[in-house]
Amino acid sequence: MTATVLDSAERLKDILDRLVAKSEADYYNPYQLFQWPDTLPQEQYWMSPELMSVHGTEVGAELTEEQLHKLSKWESVNFYSLNVHGIRELITEVIARIHTKEFKLTSEYFHHIIGEENEHMWFFARFCNQYGGKIYPDLTFKFDQASTDGPAAHFLVFARLLLFEEIVDFFNKRMGEDERLDPTIRKVNAIHHQDESRHVAFGRQIVSLLWKDLAAKSDESELEAVRAYLKAYLRRSLESLVNPAAFRDAGIPEPYKARNRVLADPAHADLDRAILKRSVKFLVAEGILLTESIDA
Amino acid sequence: MTQSAVDFIIDYLLAKRPDLTSIDLDLDLIENRILDSLGFVNFLYVVEEHTGTEISLDDVTPEDFRTVRSIAKRFFDGADVG
Ligand SMILES: [Fe+2]
Ligand SMILES: [Fe+2]
Repeated sequence: MTATVLDSAERLKDILDRLVAKSEADYYNPYQLFQWPDTLPQEQYWMSPELMSVHGTEVGAELTEEQLHKLSKWESVNFYSLNVHGIRELITEVIARIHTKEFKLTSEYFHHIIGEENEHMWFFARFCNQYGGKIYPDLTFKFDQASTDGPAAHFLVFARLLLFEEIVDFFNKRMGEDERLDPTIRKVNAIHHQDESRHVAFGRQIVSLLWKDLAAKSDESELEAVRAYLKAYLRRSLESLVNPAAFRDAGIPEPYKARNRVLADPAHADLDRAILKRSVKFLVAEGILLTESIDA
Repeated sequence: MTQSAVDFIIDYLLAKRPDLTSIDLDLDLIENRILDSLGFVNFLYVVEEHTGTEISLDDVTPEDFRTVRSIAKRFFDGADVG
């Protein structure tokens, strides 16, 4: 039972106590925290240029500074939109597990995650709607309804949550302290980074424990299927940061071709590697992935 | 344009699944995991680029993507796939 795995983890109990205390101490009212000026200046970067999908690429070299400013706006709206959809999908899964027998130990902490993620979703959505006039739609299509029960489902939910948070945090950490960005943009990113450092600490613990549980109960072919899924999830997460709709909104001609060129550009692959660096190191150290490559 | 649309869809799907040598017009792409949730967006973009129309997921269902025939019918002017 997962109950045994989590319940017997002394270290997890200590960490949960510490994280709950920290969550309470850091508690803030997001609805009053931000100023939300009516508009943000258009002729500047909305996203650190080094974090844009086109950074260092051939496509990027063909754009004027004005086009780059525009693209940085729409890529940042895409990034926050992905946050909105990712949070909705993942807190739904956490809610499905709170106060169930298997997650008794972590339920107190789940209240904090759910509450904080609800607030994150609110400020990301507000940013998109106010400064972009829209949230880019979620393009994940649920063909294959995975089961929501059992060790593989539990592991994958928390692994996806952790990996999603680590990818997002790569951006938040850097944009939160980037002096070139507008204070509103910096603040949204800095605040999120602050909450997510707790979530990531928890995520690594629970993912490590749930993997041990899964590995003990599965044969090699089942584990291989989980690994293949995780790698596909990581590839998909990185690709979703390159949205043809953002290229179109920035006025870049042939947005699908531009996207394909960016995805095939070695400079873009360097960015992807940097984004995933700490995550794949963790996955390999835990034996979750066998190598650092996420190729199919 | 229809036959070329069908060929185009099949070529794209086969490139993603080198273990297959052919895809029948009525093969269930979802059951056979030729299309799955994680790979879907890239296929959607390919269809959008080819048809020149953005597709809103509010207007489509998984059934529209079930077979090559249903994709051709729904997104390309699928007259000669019956
Ligand atoms: Fe968050
Ligand atoms: Fe989080």
